[in-house]
Amino acid sequence: MHFDLNFPVTASGSTSQQKKNKNKQPQQSSQTAFTPAQIKGIEARLDLLEHLGYTVIAFNQSVNKKIDPKTHVNILDGLLQQLRARPGTVFLKRLTIVLDNDSEKGFGLTNANASLVEPYDVIALLPTTPATFSLACLTHSLPSPLTAHIVALPLTLPRLPFQLKHTLIRTALKNGAVFEINYAGAIGGDSDASLSTFGVSDTGASGKRNWWAAAREVVRVTKGKGIIVSGGVASEADYRGPKDIVNLLTLLDLAQNLAHDASVAAPKSLILRAQARKTYRAVLSEPR
Amino acid sequence: MVRFKNRWLLVEFVDTSTVDASAEKGSLSTRPLDGRLIYNALRDSVVTNFGDTGWGAVGMSLNVKYFSPLTNLCIIRVARDQHRIAWGAVTLLTNIHDVRVIPRVIHVSGTIKHTQLSAIAHNREVIARFRTKLKNTALHHDSYDDYLARSTREIEALHD
Repeated sequence: MHFDLNFPVTASGSTSQQKKNKNKQPQQSSQTAFTPAQIKGIEARLDLLEHLGYTVIAFNQSVNKKIDPKTHVNILDGLLQQLRARPGTVFLKRLTIVLDNDSEKGFGLTNANASLVEPYDVIALLPTTPATFSLACLTHSLPSPLTAHIVALPLTLPRLPFQLKHTLIRTALKNGAVFEINYAGAIGGDSDASLSTFGVSDTGASGKRNWWAAAREVVRVTKGKGIIVSGGVASEADYRGPKDIVNLLTLLDLAQNLAHDASVAAPKSLILRAQARKTYRAVLSEPR
Repeated sequence: MVRFKNRWLLVEFVDTSTVDASAEKGSLSTRPLDGRLIYNALRDSVVTNFGDTGWGAVGMSLNVKYFSPLTNLCIIRVARDQHRIAWGAVTLLTNIHDVRVIPRVIHVSGTIKHTQLSAIAHNREVIARFRTKLKNTALHHDSYDDYLARSTREIEALHD
């Protein structure tokens, strides 16, 4: 059972939405359709992932700064309908919110927006400032219909923008959140297009160096528990098999059994926990 | 007894040109690889990612023992104590001679025997996959049979 919990998906013709032109509003629903060429590309990637041995794949939609109920479009529902069904592979839907200075006041993960967030199976936050990092770790990892399960870290930025404080990480881990390491940063190459438009990543040789430094730091502070590793890969040639990724993690000073857990056991328990979000305060069944 | 222990890595290079339709660089079928090219690419990868110290640790014992162009299967021998560095360098390889590949380590073992068994099994799997693509039944004799027999002999002829 191998997991790739970060399969980046961008909407066709997404970015600039003219808000001033009121005539354009009805076009929002048509943007969720993917062109056949895009579907072919995604199917080819899924074939490759299957060949490499991944069985659970989560499609990731990234949103910048905050979820706005007026403009947010769930592209993944449309995508899942257009893909052919594969026996033996499970598809999940994931939403990543990139947090930065503007999101400090609140970024839409509130009860009012719960209906927007509900169709997604997993929610992730990508903080880029110390304040948003502590927000993500402390308030948003508590069990509720709005918890964020994954705290993804921008590992290729020149200097990790915040210090990974032991206390924050420990609280997040105790509440059950996990920290994510995207292995695409180690291989280099083009980064996730949506992330670079949000200004979160850096590519080339310096990106790789930062990745090694930051990933090592994450491993050190979490002591190896509560880490998941996932793709985040933009171009197909950067995919690697799960065993190879486990080996890369051992090069980060992570013990072999913990590296194996990060790749297999931690994502599994994360997904189970994500299902608990749909229940009331993480209670999965009635006590007998 | 201080025996010199090795690790044998069975690596498959997955061709990305069939996946990524927009590849500008050539696919593996146009630029055939061989053992020497792989060794050079591996050496460059170790030096870029792990520096001269990494190459010093791995270089003396690194050996590309077998490569099959049809199935893109490669057998590499490294010393046991540093095999993780070599394995990491294999994973971080992005292209060999301008051809983008995805290296996938299928099997790691301490003796040559199990590597041979695993390599032969993998070859058979790949040939079976080719055959289903061509929609041939298993009884239909084609050039792949030859290839299987030859490669099995070559693999079994490997020695330490």
